[in-house]
Amino acid sequence: MRRSDLGEFEEIVLLAVAALAPAAYSVSIAEELENETGQPVSTGAVHAALQRLEQKGYLSSYLGEATQERGGRRKRLFTVTAYGGKILHEARTVRNSLWNRITPAELSKMGLDFSNS
Amino acid sequence: MQPLPPRWLDKLATRICAPHLREELLGDLHERYALRHRRTGARKANFFFLREVAALVRPSIMKRKPSPYGSPSAFSRDMLRNYFKIGSRVLLKNSSYSLIHLTGLSIGLWACMMVATVVIDSLSYDRQWSRKDDIYRIVSVNKMGGDLVERHTSSPANLAPELQKIYAEVESWSSVDSYDIHFKIRPEDADGIETSMLTVDTMANKVLGIKLLAGSLERTTQSRWSLLVTRSYAAKIFPGQDPVGKIIHDIPTFSSKPTPYEITGLIEDLPYNSHLRADVIRLKRTEVGPLVSNGMIFFGRNYLLLKSGTDVAAFTRKVNAWYARFMKNDKNQFEFQPLKDIYLHSDFAEGQSVRASIRTIYTFAGVALLLLFIACVNFVNLSTAKAFARVKEAGVRKVLSGSRTQLVMQLLTETLLLFSISVGIAVFVYFFTLQPVENFLGHRLVLTFTSNTMMAGAALLMFFLTALLTGLYPAWVISGFKPADTLRGIFTASLGQTGLRKTLVVAQFSISIIVLLATIVVWQQFDLMKNKKLGYDKNNLIGIEQIAWNGKGGAFKNELQRIPGVVRSSLSTWMPGESAGYMQREVDDPAHAGRRLRVWYVAGDVDLPAILRLKLVKGRSFSDRFADALNSDSLQNESFEKLEKAQMNQNSLMTASAAKMLRIKQLDVQTKNAHSVPVGIVGDFHNESLYEPLKPTFILAQKAPEYASMLIRIQPGTEMQVGTGVRKLWKQFFPEKLLRIHNIEEKLNKQYEAESKLHQLFLFFSGLTMFLSALGIFGLVVQAAEQRAKEVGIRKVLGASVAGIVGLISKDFVKLVMVAIVIASPLAWYALQKWLESYPYRTTIHWWVFVVTGVAALAVTVGTVSFQAIRAATADPVRSLRNE
Repeated sequence: MRRSDLGEFEEIVLLAVAALAPAAYSVSIAEELENETGQPVSTGAVHAALQRLEQKGYLSSYLGEATQERGGRRKRLFTVTAYGGKILHEARTVRNSLWNRITPAELSKMGLDFSNS
Repeated sequence: MQPLPPRWLDKLATRICAPHLREELLGDLHERYALRHRRTGARKANFFFLREVAALVRPSIMKRKPSPYGSPSAFSRDMLRNYFKIGSRVLLKNSSYSLIHLTGLSIGLWACMMVATVVIDSLSYDRQWSRKDDIYRIVSVNKMGGDLVERHTSSPANLAPELQKIYAEVESWSSVDSYDIHFKIRPEDADGIETSMLTVDTMANKVLGIKLLAGSLERTTQSRWSLLVTRSYAAKIFPGQDPVGKIIHDIPTFSSKPTPYEITGLIEDLPYNSHLRADVIRLKRTEVGPLVSNGMIFFGRNYLLLKSGTDVAAFTRKVNAWYARFMKNDKNQFEFQPLKDIYLHSDFAEGQSVRASIRTIYTFAGVALLLLFIACVNFVNLSTAKAFARVKEAGVRKVLSGSRTQLVMQLLTETLLLFSISVGIAVFVYFFTLQPVENFLGHRLVLTFTSNTMMAGAALLMFFLTALLTGLYPAWVISGFKPADTLRGIFTASLGQTGLRKTLVVAQFSISIIVLLATIVVWQQFDLMKNKKLGYDKNNLIGIEQIAWNGKGGAFKNELQRIPGVVRSSLSTWMPGESAGYMQREVDDPAHAGRRLRVWYVAGDVDLPAILRLKLVKGRSFSDRFADALNSDSLQNESFEKLEKAQMNQNSLMTASAAKMLRIKQLDVQTKNAHSVPVGIVGDFHNESLYEPLKPTFILAQKAPEYASMLIRIQPGTEMQVGTGVRKLWKQFFPEKLLRIHNIEEKLNKQYEAESKLHQLFLFFSGLTMFLSALGIFGLVVQAAEQRAKEVGIRKVLGASVAGIVGLISKDFVKLVMVAIVIASPLAWYALQKWLESYPYRTTIHWWVFVVTGVAALAVTVGTVSFQAIRAATADPVRSLRNE
């Protein structure tokens, strides 16, 4: 497992691509992340993360159609590759297993008692 | 309508973003901007866009994709070789330009190196002693009333030991005296070997850290002087022998018999670049007596060794407060001069023979920097002017996919080539001119660029940087044009950039004119000091320096009278230019109650006033008929008080200024202020050099004084004859003693050596700066004539005269020089006025000096310009017009 390859921001971007498929590109991802987190997210940061993920082979891309808002420029659309999917799955497995091992008593100590909600 | 982000931000984003990412990324930015605009309005959207653009600054976005058709790197080996090949061909092809460049640069670099050597050498003085930071010379500061203070390098002999007793800061002290002595090693050395000698007490070893090679640093004999000789001096006097234990004799000036010196130690050479430069060290006993506040106080040159890290300012205050309490007045104070400052900051130290003035060093450095500036200006000017010819080449190179970096590199290589050849020439000339420069300075240069690798390295680095700086601007200009324009022959206004070039020419000529003005004024000042009437006749006067006559002075004088050519002679305790007098007194000022005046006393036998040809204003001069002369030597031997008393009744002459200051109206009566009986008033005369103001002086007569020099008035043109006669007589009278004989006029002129050297220096530099400026303007004229060849051709075809065309081409340059004259004159006037302020007798700066300088500058310009302009004007117009 090469978990260290996947940064936190990269993981979120990768997830967002999967969630927004097939219309995942910088703008839609950045807007989505802004909505989810409430923090402003710059296009440049998202683009850089997408570039890295593509280089690592988790994503593939192709040029889509141009729109008027874009000044007649085409957009680059991203999809998660099978390898990317595997990595996402692995990440999720690790997290789930760790979550599951936390005892309810510990959860309530942390103020995260789910049984009552 | 589609909302658009601010244009400049958009442009900036395009700049930042790599070309291959622009389509998707800029599209994204615009789309998001439109979204924001709809949601939050224009202002917030703009602000957000700014943040977006800022977020683009990251390597993954900015990094350009390498072009698949790229030209080779500007720094690849092939390209580097190519630069050199093309560069050397260009230089050879334009050989006349290269020659102008080379001459200018070589001169500039040479001057710069030379002066840097002198400056570095001056700054290196006294940095070699092991405790250099902790040694201080005690300087006495005497308050003379008002703001006037007098500084002396001597201090009370017992002060230093007293300070060591009181203050813990004082680690050690030593008295150090230096003078020249003549040693007679072999019987055949008639005049002996001139040796510079330090006289130190045994504490000096601790202070100076002398390295002993053989023998001992202590005094081993009580009957003789102990002498430490340096290694190189020992090799000179006893080549190949062990000098320790040998006894050598000096040639005496005062005692009647030679003094023996025993060499007790061999030491490492003392640093040459030190104000304590010496061949031998004489050891004297360390004598400590009690410090007294009145009566006889002996003075000497004393050095203190303070503990490392002592706050000298605080220490000085402490010592002065203590000394004021001790003396019960604060007239005499002290300063502690750091060892490292002694060489350059000792204008007040009269007895110090090894010293330089920081002012001279500044002048020297300033002029050399200006010279280098002129040389570099020439380079920039000519290169940008030459750009006209080079832009076409640059255009072709660009069309053939040459990058700007390559072009800049190409032009820089040419500059570097020129500079390195110039450096080669400059170093060559430098190496062979070191000797003359050392002669000019009068001392050796220890650190030079050819002897010190560190300095050589630093110099090369400096030259490299200068070359880069001077080369960069023309290279940038030439490589900056659009090839489409240059190849079609359209030149944008920037090629003219005559503004910069004009400014540089004006600056260049202003500097030349200032240096030329300085040359004239320095010469005038020198001339004034050399030729000013001194109040006595300095011509045809010979002086024998002070010795002890052993009672044979009178007899020698009588014998002297027989030598043909000798008019008259006089034994005198005063020699022109040596001191203001053998004694000075402070007397009450009759004009201002409570103020004190200073008068000086000069003494000799009764012939002294006649020998000097002083002008008698009133009363009578000394004569054998009256009892004018006092036998002061025998009186002094009896008691000091007796002499004082006798002097009160002694007849004296006084100068007019002394009579006026002391308000002495009546002659032949004892005057309290004069401490004598004035019998006559003579015209004022300058006791010392003209650096000093006129001094009110009394002349006393003594009967054949024992410690005296001799002045001999001779008939014109008999100097050689009298000289040999005196030498012969000397051999009879004083076979053991050293004869030091001078022409008084030469001796007086030597006082103004500083001005003479400054004048020579300015003369040399003014020639160089003028030459370089003319060279620069010559290059520019050649360029202008080439550029305007067609214009000149058309004008000639239309009937213009040669004179008209010469005027047309010359006009621009003459105008520039006029501006330079207007700028330079007041600047020079101000600076020179400031310089002259330090002289009590100064020349006035006449208006004609400026006229002469201006006319000279214009003449040089017109000469240089018209040479080329006439050639252009007389050229056949068919040739220039048929071209193309």
